[in-house]
Amino acid sequence: MMSLPFVLFACAIGAAWMRQRSVSMGFWVFGLVTMLILFHIHMTEALNIQL
Amino acid sequence: MSADLSKLLNAIGLLAIGTVLALAFIDQIWFADLPCPLCILQRAGLIAAGFGISLNLIFGPKPSHYAMAIIGAVAGGAISMWQILVHIVPGAGHYGNAVFGLHLYTWAFIAAATIVVGCALMLLDDRQFSRAEPMSGRLKVLPLSTLLLFLALTIANIFSTIALCGAGLCPDYPQSYELFD
Repeated sequence: MMSLPFVLFACAIGAAWMRQRSVSMGFWVFGLVTMLILFHIHMTEALNIQL
Repeated sequence: MSADLSKLLNAIGLLAIGTVLALAFIDQIWFADLPCPLCILQRAGLIAAGFGISLNLIFGPKPSHYAMAIIGAVAGGAISMWQILVHIVPGAGHYGNAVFGLHLYTWAFIAAATIVVGCALMLLDDRQFSRAEPMSGRLKVLPLSTLLLFLALTIANIFSTIALCGAGLCPDYPQSYELFD
């Protein structure tokens, strides 16, 4: 599951290489969203600072 | 700035991102410094930023491509900043090896900030966008080789992450490659 953003970004680069700009941007958006979801899942440690 | 100069500068920028990703691999393999889940996501952020620059090389410079690079860098930089804040209190420990006195998550934040500033500087010049049609399909040596390097590093990260984490989520402090256990 952690490799999913890289898979989507690789698909995005591949689609861009084949001149499919919209498709590549779609893959990029999905990759970014996946990355942020995984970040949310891995925010397990509390910050020891007072803001 | 001409479109060709813009393309050259974008190629150099993508090469710099590729160098950072390659150095992370060298630290992982040569010094056996296994990346944590947040470190892996910071690499993904650098790739997300590099993708916008790749689009500049393939389709020609567009403000939307720079925007994608900035969004990717901000996302990766936010993950780096979170990890810096986790370890910022004295005695809170750290993760991984220090390189020139800074840990890799700090370097990742510096890289992300540099990408944002670099894209902002590139956006200052409108003349690169005046060329309406896409650039030639035949890429020159430097843009083509940086694109291939970037794609290779992205694919290498797929295999590295599968080797480290298997099919699921990574442990917070990985001790070995799950695939080889």
